[in-house]
Amino acid sequence: MSRLLFWAAGGLVLGGLIHLIVIITLPDAATRGVWNRLSAIAPAETLVVIDDIGPNAPNPLGLDPELLYGVCRLELNDGPGIVSGPLPLAFWSVAVFNPSGHVIYSTTNRSGSGDLLDMGLFNPSQTRLLAEQRFEINEGLLIVETGGDDAIAVIRLAPPHPSMRERYRDILAGLACRTLR
Amino acid sequence: MPDWIRLRSRHWTQTKVFDVLGLLFRLLFGLAIALGTGFGASYYALTDGRLLAAVRVGPWVAWPDVGQAAPNPYTRAYLARTGHLQLGHAEGIQFSAFSDDDGEALDARCTYEIRGTVPGASFWTLVATALDGTNIAASDALPALHSERIARSGAGDLVAAVGPHLSPGNWLETAGKGEFVILLTLYDATAFSGGNSALGDMPSIRKLVCP
Repeated sequence: MSRLLFWAAGGLVLGGLIHLIVIITLPDAATRGVWNRLSAIAPAETLVVIDDIGPNAPNPLGLDPELLYGVCRLELNDGPGIVSGPLPLAFWSVAVFNPSGHVIYSTTNRSGSGDLLDMGLFNPSQTRLLAEQRFEINEGLLIVETGGDDAIAVIRLAPPHPSMRERYRDILAGLACRTLR
Repeated sequence: MPDWIRLRSRHWTQTKVFDVLGLLFRLLFGLAIALGTGFGASYYALTDGRLLAAVRVGPWVAWPDVGQAAPNPYTRAYLARTGHLQLGHAEGIQFSAFSDDDGEALDARCTYEIRGTVPGASFWTLVATALDGTNIAASDALPALHSERIARSGAGDLVAAVGPHLSPGNWLETAGKGEFVILLTLYDATAFSGGNSALGDMPSIRKLVCP
């Protein structure tokens, strides 16, 4: 009996190890993460507004049917990226994703930007240049250091009423999404 | 060969066979425990996860770390497993409920009442989805409940029915069968922001009608 208990304890220790290995290796092994899904729908430097997903349609990204989503993928090896333009006076928010699929920066319209989104994305060397060269920076420019050359900005816009959806979609699609060369 | 030697050798072979079988049994037993706890705990951590990274209030579950730049390992694995477009930390937080207040899994053939105060946020939406994330609302015209477009109770509380049975007041009509999830997404929420880890009350989920 005591030998059986010994083996059970060994099994528990091994089980703990398996658990840790699964938890730690799963993110790198995953191929359907949010980064892959977003890259598949958004070519670089193009602002793509995700189509509405109605009831009973697959919703792999888990999108909220009340919101509009704009996706802007940027490759910063040629120059810093910008996402800018006017947005309606409704709730909107921006999240910047890194290739691991984590949000490295997020903000909402309540943080003082009001109806104008003006965001610059810089990789580490561009951030350093920005600080060293003392460029003049427009007031209200959101400066985001991406940590690498690839980033995806997701802009969420909430129309107060469904009838405003199409108009808001056009405004969202009109945002600039490009790199400065 | 004398009889006593033959007898002893047979006895010896028998004990050896029992030893090997016993070892094999214990080995398999240990392995079963290892695989069971290893993968079982991983599955639990990434679905329920209340002991690890998720926060639970009544039937509601939230992962407060999902919108962070460097989430903890459990949240990282959870994100990789779901592949959902998560909300950034500043944007808001999503609560999901897989069961009602009694702990019974939500059944799409039943109608549930959601009642109570919702934590502070600029606005919130309430969506019913199947376990794979498909919206199960019955009509294109009302895919979700929106905090700015519902009728409130006298005290300002949320009172809404979610399910296939015609209900007075706020009603999110759903269709289909099987288990489902209620997602309550708070945008620009105060919960978990600015070092605030306390969470007030969440609405209750009670079964109203069930065929």
